Amino acid sequence: MYALEARHAPVVSLWVWYHVGGRNEVPGTTGMSHFLEHMLFKGTPGHPKGDLDRLLARYGAMWNAFTSEDVTCYFETVPRERFPVALELEADRMRNALISVEETEAERTVIVSEREGLENDPSFLLGEQLQAVAFSRHPYGQGVIGSKEEIRLMTRDGLYTHYRKHYAPNNAYVVVAGDAAANELLDQAAKAFARLDAEVPVEPAKAPEPPQYGEKRVIVRRAGGALPIIQIAFHSPRATDPRAPALSALSVALAGATAGGGESASGRSSRLYRALIDSGLATDVDATYTLRKDPYLFVVEATLGSGSTHQQVERVILDELARIADQPLEADEFARVRRQLLSASAFMTDTITWRAYRLGEVLATGAATSLAEWYDRLAAVAAEDIRAAAESIFKERSRVVGWFIPEEPA
Amino acid sequence: MDIVRKRLPSGLRVVVAPIAGLRSVAVLLAIEAGQWFEPRGRPGIARLTAQAMLRGTTKHDSRSWADALDGIGAAARLDVGSHAATFSAQSLGADLPTLLAIMSEAVIGPAFVVDEVELVRQQTLAQIEEDARNTRAVAERVWRELVYPVGHPFRARAIGDPEVVRAVTAEDLRSQHHEAIRPKGAVLVIAGGVESAAAVDAAGRAFSGWDGAASDGRAVREVALAGAVRRLEVVPDKTQSDIIIGWPGLPRNDPRFVAARVTNMVFAADTFASRAGHVVRDELGLAYYVFSTIGSSRGQSPWTVRMGVNPTNVERAISVALDELRKILDGKVAPEDLELAQDKLVGELDVARESPGGVASLVLEGEIFDLGPDHLERYPSELRAVTRDQVVETARSFLPPERSAVAIAGPPLPGAA
Repeated sequence: MYALEARHAPVVSLWVWYHVGGRNEVPGTTGMSHFLEHMLFKGTPGHPKGDLDRLLARYGAMWNAFTSEDVTCYFETVPRERFPVALELEADRMRNALISVEETEAERTVIVSEREGLENDPSFLLGEQLQAVAFSRHPYGQGVIGSKEEIRLMTRDGLYTHYRKHYAPNNAYVVVAGDAAANELLDQAAKAFARLDAEVPVEPAKAPEPPQYGEKRVIVRRAGGALPIIQIAFHSPRATDPRAPALSALSVALAGATAGGGESASGRSSRLYRALIDSGLATDVDATYTLRKDPYLFVVEATLGSGSTHQQVERVILDELARIADQPLEADEFARVRRQLLSASAFMTDTITWRAYRLGEVLATGAATSLAEWYDRLAAVAAEDIRAAAESIFKERSRVVGWFIPEEPA
Repeated sequence: MDIVRKRLPSGLRVVVAPIAGLRSVAVLLAIEAGQWFEPRGRPGIARLTAQAMLRGTTKHDSRSWADALDGIGAAARLDVGSHAATFSAQSLGADLPTLLAIMSEAVIGPAFVVDEVELVRQQTLAQIEEDARNTRAVAERVWRELVYPVGHPFRARAIGDPEVVRAVTAEDLRSQHHEAIRPKGAVLVIAGGVESAAAVDAAGRAFSGWDGAASDGRAVREVALAGAVRRLEVVPDKTQSDIIIGWPGLPRNDPRFVAARVTNMVFAADTFASRAGHVVRDELGLAYYVFSTIGSSRGQSPWTVRMGVNPTNVERAISVALDELRKILDGKVAPEDLELAQDKLVGELDVARESPGGVASLVLEGEIFDLGPDHLERYPSELRAVTRDQVVETARSFLPPERSAVAIAGPPLPGAA
């Protein structure tokens, strides 16, 4: 359990991180952790279905949950005086979720609907294929939401077994930030979860991804999009790797710190914005390094402008990646990147909810043991570290290239 | 909150809400230059003007302006909505004077260089093309076409009409900038880790050269649907249908607007706390998302319910959502439903204070719609004062199912011709 004091607003944000996600699934059950996440809102003996929603709504809470390849996470940001209720709800559903057959059936169609909504987006379709092609052994290749077919096959008993195995105090992080002394927040959280027993420890998923020995390519053709997309992924190190802060800085150097589409004014001094957007070759570009427990992917994505070809844009991206791997950033450019990186970190932690999220993220992935440590590591990144990090991952042999090619409707 | 207000000689209102303990500051500059203030027949020109303002000034070309913004690590964007063009930004508190200077350059002295305008045009056309295959964007376009007559400022989405975008010149944008980007009627809100007097001074220095009277906006006729209208637009090779059910809303200054917000929450605003979401998602499992929004502007912004559902469930989802509405119209509003809606809306005000951006947004609404300096203090009790009868009356006045507009975008529907 971890707590942070944040006194500027009368609220507390509670996050519970479980070490279970796409990585803990095998073919035939992909999407199980995500399905289970939905079922944690369907009631316990103490709080029947709808109770949690109504209570949190009544407090004006901001609350939600998400599942990633590594973790499943639940959070609620509530007025300070409601913190004990939030704790009680989370401690209760850590071990007492009902997961009834009826509710499993009712929620199945909601999850299929979520999946169908994602399928409407060409970027999701391409990204899912790219991820599948990138990993031949590691479960990261399976993604998170699962196929529609497997969602339809998911059983109540399978979900419940998954729940009992992974939802226990010894497989979770609790992170709290808010308007009280840290030790007070911690004491309250400790009391709420203290009565819960530990479960048999879960063996971490072990399926190391073997090295890739040459470029892989994937093409998705569909009429459901108007503009061509390109995604280029490189196998990249895990969050605990010493290069992780430099890779975060690298993503800023390439595409800025804040995504925001056409209306965003920031990040326009970045390498790929200048090479692709200012030149009219693309309408949108992003570069992402994600903190993950195991080696994952550094992904560059661009939406092509009118009249551009995939070959052209791919060439420009690869040239820029080679350039940044070859020469360190000049002093003024490095200063801009560093300011964006550190400011973005400050912006995020000035919001109580995201302060708690950020701490949970670095803890759960092993990137750092505190926000201050992570910030210091970002602040210590030098221009040469960015170049070296780029050189270490931007290799043809560990590259996966995906093209989305829109087709005319039949 | 200890809010400081100052009106600059130009008419620009500066409002500062300091928040102790924060390193960063959020800035919102709302200019009355949204769709409501676009010249008739030129949908999209407000957004094009705003985007071109971000691509170079008379002092700095596009690259050096971007270098300056990234040089302080600021996040910034300029969005055009139904009422305002809103420049929103965040920087470290110590960088506020620099941030305001960078923003003011774009606001007061954009260059509108021909090549940069061309780039904005091409990006906009690409986005319009992309949106033509995006089911949510198509549903939005279709719904507006069903509700607002030709010439109405809300008939098109803010991104505009492709013909207008293709035809616009740098001179057109210069002219639109001259007419609409004015300090009078504009509000600059600064919230976060700053000291009030220093922030007001910095704002005064940055925007001292900005002048011009407010644009009046144009006379717009009231909109009312004569009957139920509906249109399906097939978007090829999609899996899910996006649905919008909606009505023309009411101006933010209308005394019934607060009751409308409560009505919206009772009906469908929240996927979990509102009635439509509860039934459509939780009870029947028909949709992953279902929510409603009511727009704030001087005019009748959209009041819409949105859902994403499998094509086989489209008819049922619409029917169920409207059934929930009919219950409200019939006066079946349980005290606990009303209380829940009010609690949620009031509670959200506290939670919004957790971020400088949230505080700035709370402050901005009261300022831009002249809701009074004590708006934030009064607002919770105004929400609590809304009665069941007001909810029913508001729904009857503004949400009649027999005069609703339904837009559907996605795969062909089963059984459709």
